[in-house]
Amino acid sequence: MDLLTFSLHNVFALLQQMSVFLVIAYLFTKSPFFRSFHLHTLHPRTQLLLYFIFSSFSILGTYFGLPINDAIANTRAIGATLAGIIGGPFLGGAVGLTAGLHRFFLGGFTAASCGISTTVEGIMGGLVHVYLVRHYQQHRLLSPAVAFFTTLVAEIVQMIIILLLSKPFDQALALVRIIALPMILANSTGAAIFVSIIRDQRKMYDDLSVFFSAKALKMAEKTVSILSLGFNMTTAREVALVIREQTGVGAVGITDREKVLAFVGEGSDHHVVGQKISSSQTRKAISENRIVYADGGEKKWRCNLSRECPLGSVLCVPLRVDNELIGTINLFEPQNKLFLVTNKTLGEGITKLLSDQILYARYIEQKTLVTTAELKIAQAQISPHFLFNALNTIIAITRKDSDRARDLLLHLANFFRKNLKHTRSLATLEEELNHVHSYLVIEKARFEDRLQLEMDIDSELLALNLPVFTLQPIVENAIKHGISNMLGQGVIRLSVGRESGLVRISVEDNAGNFAQSSRKGVGMSIVEKRIKNLCGEKHGLEIYCIPQVKTIISITVPEGGCKET
Amino acid sequence: MIRALIVDDEIHARTEIATLLAETGAVEVVGSCGNGIDGLKLVNKLRPEVLFLDIQMPVINGFEMLNMVNREIMPHVVFVTAYDQYSLKAFEEKTLDYLLKPVDGERLKRTVAKLQQTIVENRRPVYETEEIGRIPCILGNRIRLVCLSEVVYITTTVAGVHVTTMDGEYFTEVTLKVLEERSRLLRCHKQFLINMDYIKEIILLDGGLGRIVTRIGQEIPVSRRYLKLIKKKLFI
Repeated sequence: MDLLTFSLHNVFALLQQMSVFLVIAYLFTKSPFFRSFHLHTLHPRTQLLLYFIFSSFSILGTYFGLPINDAIANTRAIGATLAGIIGGPFLGGAVGLTAGLHRFFLGGFTAASCGISTTVEGIMGGLVHVYLVRHYQQHRLLSPAVAFFTTLVAEIVQMIIILLLSKPFDQALALVRIIALPMILANSTGAAIFVSIIRDQRKMYDDLSVFFSAKALKMAEKTVSILSLGFNMTTAREVALVIREQTGVGAVGITDREKVLAFVGEGSDHHVVGQKISSSQTRKAISENRIVYADGGEKKWRCNLSRECPLGSVLCVPLRVDNELIGTINLFEPQNKLFLVTNKTLGEGITKLLSDQILYARYIEQKTLVTTAELKIAQAQISPHFLFNALNTIIAITRKDSDRARDLLLHLANFFRKNLKHTRSLATLEEELNHVHSYLVIEKARFEDRLQLEMDIDSELLALNLPVFTLQPIVENAIKHGISNMLGQGVIRLSVGRESGLVRISVEDNAGNFAQSSRKGVGMSIVEKRIKNLCGEKHGLEIYCIPQVKTIISITVPEGGCKET
Repeated sequence: MIRALIVDDEIHARTEIATLLAETGAVEVVGSCGNGIDGLKLVNKLRPEVLFLDIQMPVINGFEMLNMVNREIMPHVVFVTAYDQYSLKAFEEKTLDYLLKPVDGERLKRTVAKLQQTIVENRRPVYETEEIGRIPCILGNRIRLVCLSEVVYITTTVAGVHVTTMDGEYFTEVTLKVLEERSRLLRCHKQFLINMDYIKEIILLDGGLGRIVTRIGQEIPVSRRYLKLIKKKLFI
């Protein structure tokens, strides 16, 4: 009875010192190191750090211990066992050995047995680690139950070691009878609580990051469609509204290098769009190309425009695209409100995101520019051969038939006008056919009997929209590489018709020369690219060739035509 | 009057240059045609003094056609082209002149003057020729370009020049002499050229004559004069 009372007293005393211990553990989980440490990949540096931390815990456990009969009832086992569970047998052993040696030098009749048993406890924790990892149970490394039972068994083993190694035996037995229960209970419980503190803290960080990721993603989602239209006053305002809504800051301002592009929130009565940048912090962010932060505490933000301005703190983040500074994003909080660190992080993150989006928008714009430039090239690629041969033909015809010559000149003029003037990206089938007609009338005059034309056009489709300058290059291709290389009579057949939910336009010649130059020429690939850009990826250009018999180049477009982008 | 041949694949281009030439009063157009194969035929037949030649034409172009003309009957050449994509300047020394379409009458007069001068001085046109890679052949109403490596042998008869390949016999306007000069084919008889790659065996006959058996079994006569040369080529 007496013994039990003493034991209970010891249990409470040990639990008490364990509480101190847990406070330290709690503080550890608050350290920046803890945030960056990942259980699954322990780098040597992290291992070393963990070694020091757990060794300190373990040694502290000895110091906080309760001297009983020339021995110390303590919580040393927690550090060693947990080090083993978390870091493996090597780390556990190292921590156990360190704390054990320390205990050994403190002396007493259990010095040797306690020293050895602490090392054994560390290694036991390590064996549990190995077992869990081998059985793909890594998630249980931070399980309080595992920590509890491992420590429980480890402490029992320690008691046995004390009984086996400490002399004299009867004194050891008396000691074990007193300390066994409190130490086993206190250490197991302490380890379990320690682990659950670590686990809860981690979970909290995870939850927080989920929360912030969600916010950031939402902002990304909302801004991406805005910035694809470019970076200007209109889009800047929309972006500023999204940022303010998601972060809840007092005001958001967006500037380019000189002036305010957008300002929403408190103080927008005197922070007006279009004015020169007044904030010295923003100017500093631009001139030094770095983030400038005035937290409202030591560093205050003072409005240079109005004494009445409610704003008191600011975060100015430079907006860089491709290493070039194009403006700033500014998050403000009023004087009576704290600037949240999370908002600071979010502000910096979102700026990076916006940079990427602007870059992407620029890329898309460039891509369209390239296609437009290519169209220009295609248009400019009127073959000089065609032009001079046409003129030569018309001059010859002038002698015999001036009316026909006049008609041909008008067609030539029409052809050139169509080629030179194209401001829109789409044209109706009718316009395209008109262009091709002028071209073909001239080619027919050049080749006369060598060229025969056949047309089969569904007149209901005349209003259909196609990428401008689609048809003529295909027809020209058929003549230049087909008919003009034939000795016999050439036939060009142009047909436009519906075909299972789409419209097919085909140009067929009877030369069958395409196989000889099996790749698509520049002209054809530009036509194909523009159809894909303006009508969708599934549309395009197909080539079918039976050598010496026929070549069919056909394009397909949606039934409803192509749409302006 | 200078006798001229016009080869151009566009009919109006032919009539236009013919009209302009007639206006000079110094040139008589003896013929005109729309492709290089007909052009070759007419050069062989009409022996013109000058050839007004388009470059871009179906199947064989102007350069290729010139390559197949016998040196002895080579006329003076004036290239007439719409667009100077071949940098004709480079050919200026080799050809008599070149004209750009649409042809200017005054410019043509200068060409004709140059032509008259050349003929008076009796300067012969000498054009560098290249090895013939493909022989334009006619089979029925089709033109086929026969690669030299496909040719087994070529023979000339009263009907013309016949090209024999593994899969048929074709007729060509290119003469045996031109083919001998500008290809790897070997003369083995006055009327025969043989592709060495297709020789299976050579049977030696009495009196220094021989007979070639080709890989598909045709027999080709070898005359005394050429047998020695062939033996030499074969290191016999």
